[in-house]
Amino acid sequence: MAKKMLHSLTLNGEEVEVASAPEATLLETLREDLRVLSSKRGCNQGVCGACTVIIDGKPVRSCLTLTARCEGHDVRTVEGLSDDRILNALQKHMVEAGGVQCGFCTGGMLMSARNLLAEVPRPSRDAVKSALSGNICRCTGYRTIVDAVCGAAEELAQ
Amino acid sequence: MTELLFPTTVEEAVALLAAHEDARPIAGGATLVAMRNAGLVESTHLVSLDRIAGLAGIVRLEDGRIRIGAMTKHAETASCEMLSGSLEVLRKAAGMIANRVVRNMGTMGGSVANADPAADYLPALACCDAVLTIAGPGGTREVSILDYVEDWYETALGEGEIITAFTLPAPYAAASSYRKIARVSGDFATASCAMALEADGQGVRVAIGACGPGPIRDPEAEAALCGHLGDPEAVATFAKALADQADPVDDVRGSAEYRLQLIPRLISGVLNDISKETV
Amino acid sequence: MKIAGEFEIDAPRAEVWEKVRDPQVMVQCIPGCEGIEQIDATTYRSQVSVKVGPIKATFNLKVEVVSEEAPHTVLSRTSGEEGTRASVVSSENVLRLAETPEGGTLVSYEADVSMTGRLGKFGLGIFRKKADQLAGVFVENFRAKLGVSA
Repeated sequence: MAKKMLHSLTLNGEEVEVASAPEATLLETLREDLRVLSSKRGCNQGVCGACTVIIDGKPVRSCLTLTARCEGHDVRTVEGLSDDRILNALQKHMVEAGGVQCGFCTGGMLMSARNLLAEVPRPSRDAVKSALSGNICRCTGYRTIVDAVCGAAEELAQ
Repeated sequence: MTELLFPTTVEEAVALLAAHEDARPIAGGATLVAMRNAGLVESTHLVSLDRIAGLAGIVRLEDGRIRIGAMTKHAETASCEMLSGSLEVLRKAAGMIANRVVRNMGTMGGSVANADPAADYLPALACCDAVLTIAGPGGTREVSILDYVEDWYETALGEGEIITAFTLPAPYAAASSYRKIARVSGDFATASCAMALEADGQGVRVAIGACGPGPIRDPEAEAALCGHLGDPEAVATFAKALADQADPVDDVRGSAEYRLQLIPRLISGVLNDISKETV
Repeated sequence: MKIAGEFEIDAPRAEVWEKVRDPQVMVQCIPGCEGIEQIDATTYRSQVSVKVGPIKATFNLKVEVVSEEAPHTVLSRTSGEEGTRASVVSSENVLRLAETPEGGTLVSYEADVSMTGRLGKFGLGIFRKKADQLAGVFVENFRAKLGVSA
C-alpha cells in the first residue's frame, strides 16, 4: 500500500483534509477517501465524462485531475449543488423527460449541462448537444437528455 | 510511487527536472494523467507547472506579435479575440480539441510537448510560423515549429527542457481556417489541414496534420501555388506534393491509404472556407 | 501486425548466415537488446527495451527456432511479456538469405506480431513505424559488424 499524504481542499464550500496517495487523482480521493460518490469512474481516461466535477466554476475531469493540484481551488460535485437553481431545474427535467436510465452518466451530464446553462441561458439544441459531446451515455440515446436540458433552460428563462 | 513537486519559477522547475533522473513535467494533465491511469507512463517525480506565475495567458507584444504562454488552456485559446484574421486558424484548431470539459484542462505547452501527430495544434502552429520558447539547463532558446518535431513523438525538447511560450507573427487581415476529419466530434484527427492566406491574397501557407510524425509543410510548393489558388489543376499538384511527403500510420482511425486520400479533399475544403471568407 | 522488409549486404551468404546465427553478434546489432542467452539447441532468451515517445518498455523474450535450412532460411517464434506488466507480445518470424548476382546477400524478413495489454492500447500503428525505424538501425549495425558499407 502506497504511503498516504494529507491534502487540503475546498469541497462543496467546506475545507477538508484528506489522506490520499501523493499522486492520487481527484476522482480516487472523492470516491475512495471522502466517499463522495456522484462522480463515477467510467473510462479513467477523460473520455466518458462520468467523473466530471466543477473546479473554480469550470467543469473538468476529476479522473485527470491530481488531488495535490486542487489545493487552494474550489471543487464542487453534484452533492454540493443541491440548492443550486440551475441544477435543480435540470434534475427535475431529467426525471420528467426520462433522461436517466442506469444513472451512471447522470452526475457528469448534470455538471456539463449546468455549466452550459450558467454561461448560455438559452442555448440552441445544437449547442446543448455540443456541450454534452464529452459525456457518454450508453442507455438513453441522448435525445431525452437533450430534451431535459432544453426544458430546464426554458423553465429557467421564464 | 510518484512525488509531486511545485516549483514557482521556470528556473526552479528546470532545476527540479535536472535534479531527479526520472522526473517529468506535468502541464494540464489531460494526456499525462490519462496515460498514467492506463499504466503507460510512470515516473518518480512529477514537476507541476501550474504554480509558476506568468506561464498562462495570451498577450500582444509591442511589435504586434502574439505570445501564448505554455500553460494557456485550450478553452482560453479557443475564445481569444486577438487570434483573428491570419491567426484565426489557431483559434479554430483549439476549439476542435476534445470537448468543452477537456478544453478547460489541457494546455498548448502540454499538447505540443507530447507531440501526438494527430493532435490539433501542430499543423495550426506550423501554418502560423510559430516560434517556441524553450527553457532548460542551458538557459532559454527559440525553436521554429517547423524544426520542432524530429520523429514519431520525438521533438527538439532535450533532457530537462520545457516549453514556456509560443510566439506568433502579428496577425493581419486575411482569412485562415482549420479542418479535421475525425471519427466523432472531438476525437484526434484522422487527418487535418491548417491554412492561412498570405497578406497579398495571392498565396497560402498550408500544413497537414496526422499524416506523419510532424506537420507537413512545403514552402516550395506553396510558392508554386501562389497566384493560382483558383486553378484546380495547380491545387491538385500542390496537394500531391504534400501527399508525397506524408508517411501516415494504419490505425483505428483509418488506414494509411485512406489518410493519403483525405489530403487533397481537406486542402480543397479549407481553400473553399478561405475563399468564401475573402469574397 | 505484419512487419516486413529487406536489405542488401555486400558480403557472401555463408558469412552473413554465420553472423545471423551467432547470438553474440545479434545482441550487438539489435537496438535495445540487453543480452541473449542460449537455453538449448534451438531456444534463446533475451531482453529488449524499446522507447516510443513517453513510453518505455522492456520485454523478456523467448525465441524458439522452429526450423532452419542452412544457409538460407530460419523460421522462428518469439513470445514474451513485459516484466510484471500486462503486455504480452508474440510473433512468428521468417528470415531468408538469397545470393545476389553481384556476390552479395539479400536479407528479407517477415514477422507477424501481436501485442496485447497496456501497449496494445497505445496503438499498433505507431509500433509499426517504430519497428521500421529499428530495422534501419539494425541494418546499419549489422553492416558495421561485417565491415561492409551500405
